[in-house]
Amino acid sequence: MTSVKKPETHDAIVIGSGITGGWAAKELAEKGLKVLVLEAGRPIVPEQDYAEHVPVYEVKFRGMTDRKQQLKTQPIQRMCYACDEWAGKFFINDLEHPYTSDPGKPFAWIRGRQVGGRSIMWGRQSYRWSDLDFEANLKDGIAVDWPIRYADIAPWYDYVEDFAGISGQAESLAQLPDGHFLPPMEMNCAEVAVKEAVASRYGRERVMTIGRAAVLTRTHNGRAACHYCGPCHRGCITRSYFSSVNATLPAAEKTGRMTLRPFSVVHSLIFDSQTRRVTGVRVIDSQTKKALEFQGKIIFLCASTIESARILLNSATPEFSNGLANSSGQVGKNLMDHIMGGGAAGEIPGFTDRIQTGNRPNGIYVPRFKNVSNKEKGFLRGYGFQGGAARRRWTRGIDESGFGVGLKESLRGYGPWEMNFHGFGECLPSEDNFVEIDKDHVDAWGIPTLKIHCAYGKNEEALLNDMAIEASEMLAAAGARNIEPFRQKNPPGLAIHEMGTARMGRDPKTSVLNAHNQAHDVKNLFMTDGACMASTACVNPSLTYMALTARACDYAVSELKKGEL
Amino acid sequence: MQRREALRLMGGASVFSVLSTDWLGASLHAQMAQKAPGTLQALTPAQNDIVVAMSEVIIPATSTPGAKGAKVNEFIDLIMAEWATDQEKAAFLEGLGEAERRAKELFGHGFAAASAEEQAAIVQRFDEELDVYRENENKEWSGFWELKTALPFFEQMRRLTLVGYYTSEIGQQQELKVEIIPGALHGCVPEGTEVKQ
Repeated sequence: MTSVKKPETHDAIVIGSGITGGWAAKELAEKGLKVLVLEAGRPIVPEQDYAEHVPVYEVKFRGMTDRKQQLKTQPIQRMCYACDEWAGKFFINDLEHPYTSDPGKPFAWIRGRQVGGRSIMWGRQSYRWSDLDFEANLKDGIAVDWPIRYADIAPWYDYVEDFAGISGQAESLAQLPDGHFLPPMEMNCAEVAVKEAVASRYGRERVMTIGRAAVLTRTHNGRAACHYCGPCHRGCITRSYFSSVNATLPAAEKTGRMTLRPFSVVHSLIFDSQTRRVTGVRVIDSQTKKALEFQGKIIFLCASTIESARILLNSATPEFSNGLANSSGQVGKNLMDHIMGGGAAGEIPGFTDRIQTGNRPNGIYVPRFKNVSNKEKGFLRGYGFQGGAARRRWTRGIDESGFGVGLKESLRGYGPWEMNFHGFGECLPSEDNFVEIDKDHVDAWGIPTLKIHCAYGKNEEALLNDMAIEASEMLAAAGARNIEPFRQKNPPGLAIHEMGTARMGRDPKTSVLNAHNQAHDVKNLFMTDGACMASTACVNPSLTYMALTARACDYAVSELKKGEL
Repeated sequence: MQRREALRLMGGASVFSVLSTDWLGASLHAQMAQKAPGTLQALTPAQNDIVVAMSEVIIPATSTPGAKGAKVNEFIDLIMAEWATDQEKAAFLEGLGEAERRAKELFGHGFAAASAEEQAAIVQRFDEELDVYRENENKEWSGFWELKTALPFFEQMRRLTLVGYYTSEIGQQQELKVEIIPGALHGCVPEGTEVKQ
C-alpha cells in the first residue's frame, strides 16, 4: 500500500452484532461512548430480507429446500431445523467458513453472519439461571467456580427483560427464578391436561409451565404484539420477537453515536505491549478483501463462543505466544453444548372437537427436577424439557396408507393431540473438548481456521437416557397412548448453545475473564458471549448473555471514566 | 415486496384486523400470474400423463380441486429434475413404467387411458405393497437424516402427491383454509371457531 492512512479511532469497538454485540452497542452508546460495531456479514433490511409471511407455494421446493444446493454449500448448516427454504439465507455458506473435527467426533457449528447474527434465527427461549447453576462447579469440584452468584446478576436480568420483553408465567421455583414477565401465552387443550396430570403425579417436584419466550404478548417499548404467524426464524416485520435487528441496534442507532460497519471480518486484535492494552482491531473487508485497522479505547469481543476464541488465538503476540489474553492457557478450552435429543412423544386422548388457533412460536417447559432436592446416583446435574402438543393436519398422511376421497376428507381435518417432551441437558466442562488454530487451512478471507475437538462424555449420555425414561413416565401419567421414547444421537453444536472457550473465574491462572467479563490479562478487553461461561446449566443461555453484557458494559464505562482502562 | 411494504406502512398490531384474506389473495394471484406455465424437465409426456392420472387417484377433486387441478405433476417434475438423487429418480421412473405394464397386462391399455376403477385397482395394489414394505424394511438413516436407500416408487409418488397438493395454493387456501396471519392465539376452542383478535 502506498498511502498511510491513520486508523479511525472510537471510544469502543464491538465485534459482532448478534445477541451480545447488539446489547453492547446499545449500552455503550446510551452511556455516551462513540461505538463502532464490526459485523462480518451483510446488512439486513427487514422489509426485504424477512420472509415469514411468504406462503409455502411461493417458495420453489415448497419447503423441501433446495437439497442439492444445500448439500453442496450448507452441508452442516442444513442440520439446523431453522435453515429452511425461507431462512437458509441467514446461515453461512460452509465452503467459505471451513473447520475440521476429529474422525468419529463430528461437531455441528451452526453460524449466521449478517447484521443481527444468530439473533435473527434464535429459538427465543429466555430463562434465568439460579444459584443451583452458579454454585454447581464449586459444589462438584469441577472446573472453576463461577465468580458471580445469582444476586450479582438478578438486577441485570430485570434490566434486560424490561427492555427485551419476555412472556412467561411466574412459578416461584428456586431452580428457575421468575422474571419481569409479559402475560404468558396460552397452553392448548392437551398441554393443560398433561400439566394437570404431571402436577397430580409429581406435585411441586415437576412443574410444567408455558415457555418463557422473548416474544411480545402485548405492545412493548414501541414494538407490536405477536400476530402468531409462527416461523419467527424467518424474521418478523412487526419486530415482535427480540433480536438485535428488531430491538437493540435501533436503540443504539437512536443515540447517534453508533457506527455499524458490515462486511468487516475481524482477523485479530492489536496489542500494545507498553500499555498492555488492546488498541484496535485488524479487519478484512469482505467485499474488497482489503486489510483495514480500527482503533478503540475498549473492545467488546462478542463474535460468538467459538469465533471469539478463534480471534484471540489468532492474535498471538510475543507476550502471549499461545493467544492473546491467554496466560491461563484456557482460551479455546472447555467447549460445551447442551446435550439434546432425549425425550418421548405420545397421543393424548380426548379434546377431538377442539383445536388451537394461531401458530404459537413457543412451547412448554419443564424446569430441571433431577439433582435439585435429592441426589441422583447415575449422573451429575440435570436437564429440562421443552415440548408441546399439537394436532397435525395433512402431514400425518405421509406415514399412513390409503388414497382417494377418504384420505382427502380425513386429512382436511385434524389428527389426535400429540404431545412431546424434548430434553436439554447440562454438559460438563472438560479440557478434552477444545479448539485450536489450524495453520494449514484458511477461510475465504485467508484467516487461519480451527480444529474442533469435542465429544459428549458419560455424564451427558446418562442424561440423554434419563430424558427418554422420565418423558415416557410423564406421558404415561397423563394417560398418553402409543408412547414412543427417543434418544437421538446429535453431534455437539447442534443445540446451538455452545459455551466455554474463555471462561470467567476468580483466579487469573485458571480462567480468562473476571467477574465483570474483563480479561484478566488485558484490562480494556471484555468478552460477553457464550465464551465466558464456566458451566452450561441446563437452561437456554441467551438471556444470561444479555444480562452479563449489560452488566459488563456498566462496569466498563465506570472504569473507563475512572481512568482505570 | 409489496405486501410487506404495505404491512410496514400500516404499522403495528392493528394491521391484522385490516388485512383481509381477499387483499392477501389478490396480491398473491398477481405474483402467480407472472409465472410461465410449466414445461416438463424430467418426465416425458407419457410419464407425465401417468403422474397426472395417478396423483388425481390419490387426491381426487371433490368439492375442491384435486391433485390435477393443483398441478401436482409440475411439482413432481421439478423434484425429479432438480431435487431427487439419480437413484431416487431412477426408482421413480421405473415405478411409472411398472404402473404402465400392470395396466396393460390387466386391462389391455396404458394407465393414463384406464378407467377410474381400473386406475384405483392398480393404486390399491401399490398401496398394499407399500404397507408390506414398511412393515418389513428396516430403513437405514445415515448420520444426518438422509435416507440411504432410495424410497420405493409408490412411497415417493404418494408422498410427493401429498406435499405437492397440500403446499399448493389450492391446497393451502381452498382445501386447508390456512391463515398465514391468524392474529391471535387461542389454546383450546371448538373446531370451526373464527379467530377473534
